[in-house]
Amino acid sequence: MKKIIALLLALAMVFALVACSSSSKKTEETTTAAAETTTAAAGDTTAAGATTTAAAATGEKMYIPVMAKGFQHAYWQAVKKGSEAAANDLGVEIYFDGPASETEIDSQVNMVKNELAKNPKAMCLAALSTDSVTEILQECADKKIPVIGFDSGVPGDKTGAVKATAATNNEAAAAIAADKFGENAGLVAKMKAATPDSPVVIGCLSQDAVSASVTGRTTGFVNEMSKLAETYQAGKVSVEGHTKWEKKVDKPAIIIKVEVSATTEATALQTSANSLLSTKGISAVFCSNEGAVTGFLAATSDGEDLAEGGKYAGLVVAGFDAGSAQKNAVRNGWFIGSVTQDPYQIGYKAVSLAVDAANGKSVSDVDTGAKWYDKTNIDNPDIALLVYD
Amino acid sequence: MKQETIKTKKINWQTLLAPLALVILYIFFSIFGNNFFSADMLKNILESSYYIGFMAFGVTFIIITGGIDLSLGTVMMCSALIGAYVFKQHHWPLILALLLTVGVGVLFGFLNGTLVARLKLPPFIATLGTMMMSQGIGSIITSVQSQTWPTATEPVGGWFKKVFIRNDFASFRGFPVGALWLIVFFVIATLILHKTKFGRYTFAIGSNEEAARLSGINVIKWKTGVYTLCGFFVGMSGIFYAAAYTTITPGTGNGQEMNGITGVVIGGTSMSGGSGTMVGTLIGVFIMSVLKNGLSACGLQAPWQTFFTGLVVIGAVLLDIQRTKAANRVKKG
Repeated sequence: MKKIIALLLALAMVFALVACSSSSKKTEETTTAAAETTTAAAGDTTAAGATTTAAAATGEKMYIPVMAKGFQHAYWQAVKKGSEAAANDLGVEIYFDGPASETEIDSQVNMVKNELAKNPKAMCLAALSTDSVTEILQECADKKIPVIGFDSGVPGDKTGAVKATAATNNEAAAAIAADKFGENAGLVAKMKAATPDSPVVIGCLSQDAVSASVTGRTTGFVNEMSKLAETYQAGKVSVEGHTKWEKKVDKPAIIIKVEVSATTEATALQTSANSLLSTKGISAVFCSNEGAVTGFLAATSDGEDLAEGGKYAGLVVAGFDAGSAQKNAVRNGWFIGSVTQDPYQIGYKAVSLAVDAANGKSVSDVDTGAKWYDKTNIDNPDIALLVYD
Repeated sequence: MKQETIKTKKINWQTLLAPLALVILYIFFSIFGNNFFSADMLKNILESSYYIGFMAFGVTFIIITGGIDLSLGTVMMCSALIGAYVFKQHHWPLILALLLTVGVGVLFGFLNGTLVARLKLPPFIATLGTMMMSQGIGSIITSVQSQTWPTATEPVGGWFKKVFIRNDFASFRGFPVGALWLIVFFVIATLILHKTKFGRYTFAIGSNEEAARLSGINVIKWKTGVYTLCGFFVGMSGIFYAAAYTTITPGTGNGQEMNGITGVVIGGTSMSGGSGTMVGTLIGVFIMSVLKNGLSACGLQAPWQTFFTGLVVIGAVLLDIQRTKAANRVKKG
């Protein structure tokens, strides 16, 4: 019996040992490159100079944790690629991690705390909830560890720890989709012909009303769409659905319906998508992120219902972000197109901002841009780089 | 001292195994982890353990009666959600919101107890039901909106974090106040379990419910009490979860119950009931936290942490089986 216990313990230890040594080996390999970083940074301020010499003494690269909001969407993999490329170009070591799902605020908090305990020179953070990391940010501010926001960043930070954010201007990006709806002849005809008796419904499917990126997109889309719709039906445009965006009018001819799902899981988004699809007069839908698109496609037989002769043929749909399912829908013309951020740039810029901040340079926000893609340009090299699978 | 150890050696080396494992793990990660041996990391370990600790204290009682509570995680979230909701949306005084948080836990505990003890539902089914109910209720009341508890710098309720999680005492910055709470309630739970009639009856019911009933114990009453007490601890865990993570998302909490139950199991409490200790539970909870934080200090991501926790659970239960076998041999011999 003692043997069994000993064996088990040994097994566990060996596992951990193997796992640990593989990661410590990485640091050893990096020692040679570290020398370059030191000389490059030598000309900087005294504070930065001190830290670099310290790093040189232990032979380690500058360590920057990159704390994402998740892993499960291909989007984050593209961010990771960008940040790794930046780490390579700038000769720093990064550690990219995020919680298994975007509702796991607690595990992200633990992750960030643990990274902070390693005393990094800077940190990149896409916070799931700013309130939950306020104390951590305060600690960063006290320890003078610069924090760089990326993706949705760290909105409403009051501690001053967040020096800059590399992100898409979400409102402007989502407005692109509304503009494309405004250029769609079929939808415009419908909006012109709409009456209070048979109103045209334009849906907006969002996964939450909490995170800044999704709320920003929803706001951007709703505002731009209302403005466009007003030109056809002045005073008869009603925004309904989620209370956050509600702006009801009597007897509307065009209804913009904001549907926010119960959780960020695909099944919940599918339920919300179904509820939009069953709304009478539904003519167009905008899905505000990859999660929303996934749920929407699940509700439309993977998009086939949108095809010629399908159940929802003629429905004008636009998405956001990418992913293979969404790309397929765009390529087949089921979606009129989608807006894409530049996740690669988000990752790249976040790390390079962090390196600059750690070296004592002043940094400022970077808009990483957004682009519209449809079936005509999806395979162009400049777009293909942005739309991950 | 030495004589004492010799006298109780047979029993002690078994009970010492869990604390020993904890110490070994801690030393192990201190050597191999990146900056694991630091005050910051210790604080992290503590802060991520409070809520699991409270949950585990409560469910230890239930598991000793031979039952199980699957609603721990979602009831915790539900109570924290409702507490934050009345505080933020209805401007209740924070103290009332906290009482309500614990109250929601107690209410669900009482419901569980009634279903299991009085209506004779299998604990697995009864608490599976309340698990879903509590998750639903939390979402319904808050209309699926995330709720936030006050952060340390907020003018209203800023004392929340200072009282429950960390505070500055003179030169000691960020003193882990939560640890004091955990210790106090650990002592209370230990006293209840090992020194009171309530505790003795808990063991009696778990060893042999029928025998307990025949010897005149009002099983229905005491069992309901056990589940209600667990509810109280779950309500407390809601407060500490809120203190550590601030934002509570509706629809979450599934799976958190496993953190509590795992802690209890690693601590050597038998799932078949009738045996277990509170100190084991405490150590079990910390073994898990040290493992999680340690692996992450080694640069291993969450999936690895889950994997190793699983490994430890199996190891702990194997040990438990061996221990029972050994104990039986002693009895027969």
